[in-house]
Amino acid sequence: MTSKPPPTALIADDEPLLRERLRSHLARLWPELQIVAEARNGREAVELFDEHQPSVVFLDVHMPGMNGVEAARSIARRAELVFVTAYEQYAVQAFEQGALDYLVKPFDDRRLADTVQRLKARVLAVPSPAEEASSSAVDALLSELSAELRRRGAGAATTGSHLQWIKASVGTSVRLIPVEQVVYLRSDEKYTLVVWEGGEALIRKTIRELADELDPERFAQIHRSVIVNLHAVVQVHRGLNETAEVQLKGRNEMLPVSRSFLHLFRQM
Amino acid sequence: MSSIPVVQPRRPVRDGLRSFVLALSLKRVGVALLLAVLAAFVLSPIFVTPMIVIVARFMVIALVLVLLFTAAGVWRQRVLPSWIVQLISVLVAAPVMTFLVYLPSVGGDFSAVFAHEGRAMGFVGIASTAMFWGALLAMGALYREREARSRSAELGFALEKSQLERQALDARLKLLQAQIEPHFLFNTLANVQALVESGSPRAGPVLGSLIAYLRAVVPKLHDERPTLGGEVALVRAYLELMQMRIPDRLQFSVDLEPGVTQQSFPPMALLTLVENAVRHGIDPNEQGGRIGVNAWSNVATGALHVAVTDDGAGMRETAAPGTGLSNLRERLAAFYGGRARLEISENTPHGVRAELIIEAAAPTGQ
Repeated sequence: MTSKPPPTALIADDEPLLRERLRSHLARLWPELQIVAEARNGREAVELFDEHQPSVVFLDVHMPGMNGVEAARSIARRAELVFVTAYEQYAVQAFEQGALDYLVKPFDDRRLADTVQRLKARVLAVPSPAEEASSSAVDALLSELSAELRRRGAGAATTGSHLQWIKASVGTSVRLIPVEQVVYLRSDEKYTLVVWEGGEALIRKTIRELADELDPERFAQIHRSVIVNLHAVVQVHRGLNETAEVQLKGRNEMLPVSRSFLHLFRQM
Repeated sequence: MSSIPVVQPRRPVRDGLRSFVLALSLKRVGVALLLAVLAAFVLSPIFVTPMIVIVARFMVIALVLVLLFTAAGVWRQRVLPSWIVQLISVLVAAPVMTFLVYLPSVGGDFSAVFAHEGRAMGFVGIASTAMFWGALLAMGALYREREARSRSAELGFALEKSQLERQALDARLKLLQAQIEPHFLFNTLANVQALVESGSPRAGPVLGSLIAYLRAVVPKLHDERPTLGGEVALVRAYLELMQMRIPDRLQFSVDLEPGVTQQSFPPMALLTLVENAVRHGIDPNEQGGRIGVNAWSNVATGALHVAVTDDGAGMRETAAPGTGLSNLRERLAAFYGGRARLEISENTPHGVRAELIIEAAAPTGQ
């Protein structure tokens, strides 16, 4: 009789107290389970998984750098996955639909005992063809969830398409100017002048680059050398000979509209 | 793009005509004509001319004077105040018009008007009456116009004031909505649970921080007088909780110049900046980082400076600023009027620095 090797597990969470708590509860509920490694982020989780090949992986959804869902996609079907999350309604819904196991922090012993029961059954059983088939659905769900997380991951990790900040040197510091505060941009030979609610500065980006990067819903190029924040426009004065000038909120200067951009201000 | 107001090229003549018609109220014309008829009746005994002719003459003169007076008011010139021009136009037009209405009766012969003594007397009578009443009416109208203008200015002021009050209320309501992030709360509680279960002596102090944080964050409609000192206590509690959760990734320091703690400060404003530093700087960064909170007052300008600095992941140019910052700007505007500004810059060598600068209030004369 060949005895199966004891089941092993990896815990990934960026909060050490929560790793410790899970470890101590598992020790009580499932003494045979060996915690072979603890990871502090998704990248470490994947590395340690490859190193130890544990049969169970507990993954916190929110971790710095690579998050739990991305780590899960990379680990894929090579282990039983249990997600750990705190109040992520959308994630919980996804896990429920995809029949993925999950724990909501702070969880109690009974909930963890249920999970342990299920894990024991699966780790000891031979995978059935039906389960194999459903795993591709799990893959799809994980990639969907990972996209959702990236969208919600407030900022730093997101790759939004439009420029949200304009970096400009002011004195000794590099200021980050939120684009909604920018009134207009005007090219000034080699540089571009940024005029915002709190001042003005020269930046190196060209009007052409800015026209491509700024949100066209908010910014419009009205002249070869001028981009204006449409929310800062008070009025457009039509002049003679197909010319026009733009009047701005709280400013005295008028901006020229050249003939080829006049169509932007045609009355609907 | 349809929301951009478009102004057609100016057509001064049309504009002038329009404002002329608008200014020329039926009431104004009616009063002038009525007075003309009255004056005609009163003066008619001294004339030999039939009554109906006198009434007609007076009415024509009154009508022209009203039209001129109104036109002078609409005329955009910069040489003289418009009320002087209006008065002069009435005073000059009264004798001229009187002279003109006499012309038909003498067959267009200018000299004939004054040749006949009775006619000259009539001219002087009508002209002086027209001048006197015209000037009086003109001044009355001018006075009423001025009253109306100052009343509308008052109304405009009241409207502006109520709009400002509404904005302040909006800002306060926004503040009340969902300040406690459930994700933060439940994660923190999970940590407290871990400390309690393991019998850690840290459980007590951590619960203390959580209570301090919740007490400050739970919506309050009327804070007696929110101060920077109170806000810094909240921020310290928040940072202590975060540090309990990720001790290997978060260090922080809070340096407050002793003199600034009593300065009034909008609730949650500093917390928003610190939460942002955690969310954008520390959270995404595997190595974490350090958050510094500093507050001091500038000796030269008297301005209050509050800075939150992190050396974390930094801000990408395409990173969505989120609603937190624009909400904060609204709250600052509601709390300080135009005195506060928020400057965000890159921290060297990496990370972000957010500095709140609140100019000293103008002396209130107390």
